Amino acid sequence: MWDFVVDRREQLLINAWNHAYLVILAVLFATVIAVVLAVVVTRLPKVEPVANAVSAAGLTIPSFALIGLLLPVTGLGDVTALVAVTFYAVLPILRNAIVGLQGVEPGLVESARGMGMSEPMTLLRIKLPLAWPVILSGIRVSLQMSMGVAAIAAYVLGPGLGAWIFQGLTQVGGKNAVNYALSATIGIVLLALILDLALLLVGRLTTSKGVRV
Amino acid sequence: MSIHIDAPIEQPAVGAGPAPRRGRLSGGSAIELFGIPILVVVGFLLYVWWRQTATLDSIEASSLDWSEVRLEVWQHLKLTVVASLVVVAIAVPLGVLLTRPRLRFLAPAVVGVANAGQAAPSIGLIVLLFMWLSGWSGFWVAILALALYGILPVLRNTITGLQGVDPTLVEAGRGLGYSGGSVLLRVELPLALPVIMAGIRTSLVLVVGTAALATFINAGGMGGMITAGITLYRYPVMVAGAVLIALLALLVEWVGRVLELLVRPKGI
Repeated sequence: MWDFVVDRREQLLINAWNHAYLVILAVLFATVIAVVLAVVVTRLPKVEPVANAVSAAGLTIPSFALIGLLLPVTGLGDVTALVAVTFYAVLPILRNAIVGLQGVEPGLVESARGMGMSEPMTLLRIKLPLAWPVILSGIRVSLQMSMGVAAIAAYVLGPGLGAWIFQGLTQVGGKNAVNYALSATIGIVLLALILDLALLLVGRLTTSKGVRV
Repeated sequence: MSIHIDAPIEQPAVGAGPAPRRGRLSGGSAIELFGIPILVVVGFLLYVWWRQTATLDSIEASSLDWSEVRLEVWQHLKLTVVASLVVVAIAVPLGVLLTRPRLRFLAPAVVGVANAGQAAPSIGLIVLLFMWLSGWSGFWVAILALALYGILPVLRNTITGLQGVDPTLVEAGRGLGYSGGSVLLRVELPLALPVIMAGIRTSLVLVVGTAALATFINAGGMGGMITAGITLYRYPVMVAGAVLIALLALLVEWVGRVLELLVRPKGI
């Protein structure tokens, strides 16, 4: 196993980098989409149960099924992987962003308005900073889920470490089959841990001092 | 800021969310409870209509032959149900053990390990088990992988649910002369049941979705339609497979929801 990894370290690192890149990009997109949706949803109380139902139903759809649905539209490769990972990444962030925005004390919003802050200013300087810790925990969940979805997307030639898992599968019985699958799986677990730590750090830096716990 | 959603590696539909606000049937769950079966039925009827009217070439027609589809649905359901039963049979007793005073200290360690295990990608786990257990049939390898994957939500919720039982109620049970076992069966488990059921529903969703990957290790299931569609390069086959899996997953999640409502003890 060790020799195997050392021999192929370059390819392994490239795959790991691609995996991380795909996941980070997808989670970034997802965060923007989810926060925008959450802002809209919390302004229209009637839509909220619908949004929650949609996000619960969305998480129910197996990732492999979504990949099958996307394939005719986006084709084999990176785009399908990115769209699929982004889709799943949106849902936990959306749910947490809605909870977070609703949890902002109305009195605070009121006083911001009283100080003459406009509606968008209130959103940017009061609501979002206060909701941020909750949104962040949604992002952590998304990140973990995305690692696994990205691995499955390798079946349709998406980038990343998943490729080696499928390569191992096609060589079952061969001498490197287990090495391929095992090093990729361990790589994904390690990557998940590293990105989770990085996110904690980012969270610490981006959470406003007053709401830090 | 008092809301704190504790979710290190929290899974998709954990009954977490803003749980306390949910009454017997809030707006959202009413939509889900009645909307999902309607959606599934309509979706399935659309599929049947499409299947009867579409012009398919011979490969597509044989991949989407009714007997083939029925077989894959049956395999998929069997994988889901057996794996879920294994999960409940292991995770609930384990959760009970880990909340008993003598073993309580082990709970954080076990949940920590389970959490870390959850970070392993499902496809990697399935493929590796398949390689390591080459003497096993594909079906049982898939069951093992699915069960491993589905254990965490039930285990965690069993522990949380039992820990959430008011100790004075346990005390009162003992005061009435119940033995430790009766207190567990008559007081603690009924009170923890809603939380445990939420865990079981989450686990069902995980298992039904992951079962789509069983086809990679020759264990059958509806993933077969998608892989067939991809390898044969037939869009209708892969889309039909994807739609049918999604419908089945929604249906299974709905069954979990209904079970949750049905087994809820009256007093809660």
